[in-house]
Amino acid sequence: MWQQHLDKLTLAAVLLLAALLLALQLGDVKSWAAIDWLDILGEGIVLAVALSWLTLNLLNRPAGRVTDWLYYGSLLLSCSFALDLLDEFLRYPAHVRTMSWLESVPAPLGMLALTYGLMGWHQEQRQINRQLRGRERFLRDHRLLDPLTQLYGLDYLYAVLNRELALHQQQRLPLSILMLDIDQFAAFNRQHGTAAGDNYLISLAELLSSQMRESDVICRYAGDRFVAVLVHTEQAAAEIIALHLQQQLQRLTAAGQTLHCSVACIQATQTQATAVLKQAELALRASKLRGARPVYQPGHGNL
Amino acid sequence: MTVAIFDHNEKNLLLQHSVTALLHLAQRRGACLHKLLHGTQIFEQDLSRPDSRCHHRDWLTLLGRCQQLASPELPFILADALLHNPALALSQSLPKAPHLAGCLRQLWYFRHQMLPGVFTLVQHTEQYRVLLLKPALQLGPQQGFILNLAMALLVQLIQHHTGRGNNLRVQLKQAAPSHPAQISSYWPCPVSFGQPVDALYIPHELWFQPWPEHHAGEFRAYRRACYQLNRRLPRQRGLFEILQRQLYRTMPATLSLEQAASLLGCSSSSVKRLLQQQGSSYAALADDLRCDLATLLLCQGKLSNKQLASQLGYSDEHNFRRAFKRWTGNVPSSLRLPVS
Repeated sequence: MWQQHLDKLTLAAVLLLAALLLALQLGDVKSWAAIDWLDILGEGIVLAVALSWLTLNLLNRPAGRVTDWLYYGSLLLSCSFALDLLDEFLRYPAHVRTMSWLESVPAPLGMLALTYGLMGWHQEQRQINRQLRGRERFLRDHRLLDPLTQLYGLDYLYAVLNRELALHQQQRLPLSILMLDIDQFAAFNRQHGTAAGDNYLISLAELLSSQMRESDVICRYAGDRFVAVLVHTEQAAAEIIALHLQQQLQRLTAAGQTLHCSVACIQATQTQATAVLKQAELALRASKLRGARPVYQPGHGNL
Repeated sequence: MTVAIFDHNEKNLLLQHSVTALLHLAQRRGACLHKLLHGTQIFEQDLSRPDSRCHHRDWLTLLGRCQQLASPELPFILADALLHNPALALSQSLPKAPHLAGCLRQLWYFRHQMLPGVFTLVQHTEQYRVLLLKPALQLGPQQGFILNLAMALLVQLIQHHTGRGNNLRVQLKQAAPSHPAQISSYWPCPVSFGQPVDALYIPHELWFQPWPEHHAGEFRAYRRACYQLNRRLPRQRGLFEILQRQLYRTMPATLSLEQAASLLGCSSSSVKRLLQQQGSSYAALADDLRCDLATLLLCQGKLSNKQLASQLGYSDEHNFRRAFKRWTGNVPSSLRLPVS
């Protein structure tokens, strides 16, 4: 950080040096006995603190309006305190008022500048907090969760998918999408009621979260349709995951029945989330047609 | 007047018919029961009693709270729950109807037992019979939800029993959802959002196609149960519905406020006051009706402005054109293209 403030550091050094030279030019050194060591200790500490403000400011803050105000404030204070310390060692002729002016005027001005800078800092921090809060909401907002399944919804899916697609494209890594749809879910709802349907969705969501890898993002895409974003995964690996899921789903029963789910996975080639999801929907429709199940017959339990 | 008017303070909804289903759905989606019921006159112990009722106002409050659940599927699931509610003889009777016409007649006659807040007007076109769905009383911010619910209910009913829901067409006033993919699986047919009317287009051939689950005996038995329920839950209609249906019936002649009031058996000033309580006026209702009808007729693209003006009770086409521009901000010809 301090590299971008080289000019400010130089200016500070030059100013302090100039003050020293000016003081030496105007005054002459006091005798050893006339020096008050206690004063020197106090004023030395004050100068050290002012200088530490100056350096901490320049080390930690990026260039900007607020940094400038803080810098000029602490620089004026440092100069004033440095001259204050110097006059403990030097005695100025009584007719030269310059040094006493230079000692007393910059200190209050510096204080004012410092205060103004701190007020700016306060406002800046408020803005930053708001910005950070915004970013957090984007990534972890409970309102983006689907209230029934506690999985993330479509808003989140679009946001994450767009970001991951861009990242994967950049690093030339494979990214796959898995889409899962419950077959004949409307008929199941009709026969067993919406409560049974909702419970099935909840247990399905739990199964998906437990059976997928940590890195996979699972979202509820629509009523009975789920989407998983499989990062760093090729089509072949995604198909193994899909097969594994199909096997696990056999164990999931609702109202004494096992519902059949269609699963499709594709490797993303487009850069837009909407295009990729459309492609996944087409793949899902194709896989449904391939494995066309017998039409739901209430009471036969053939699903 | 055989049919009574109801307003928001009428206790005309049996909890078991729709409210408990809604509460269960909301609770499974993380809503807290006492927060849902807070401020309403429904108590937890009422929920298990078979004959407890609630005000129409409380139903609207509950719907408003459930709308905040961020669950876009809710109107569709609720429609499903209403259609298959074992406690509601009306919904049990619907699958046993001989055909769509019989089913809708039954639903129309007993609608106060299921959704008293909505009524329909029917228009005929060459290919379709159009059901125009309208609020029967002031529904406030919940209007979009309730009309969506009613529309989903009708579409699910037709899709399930005829298997040809893809032949329907739906127009909804509400704005398009931000993610159409979320709800597209619930509509078997094309849906257009942001339209000037809430309308369902049903092809003529679906009306008398026999239904597979038709059972005349059971249908009669369920209908008897509905009639019996009518004794406890008499037929009541919303004020908007009564006035707009009267206006519709007398079209193209214009029914004055005094005439409408005398039909209702009360003075014109009390009708005015009742309408004002619901934030509306007689002229606004008449305009709303004419605007909807004009839109429907325009979409058919057959009639000229002159014919439309005479059908809707305007003295000439210039008056009609001016009124239409006032309602919609557009000239009639902007709608005259067939809807895509």
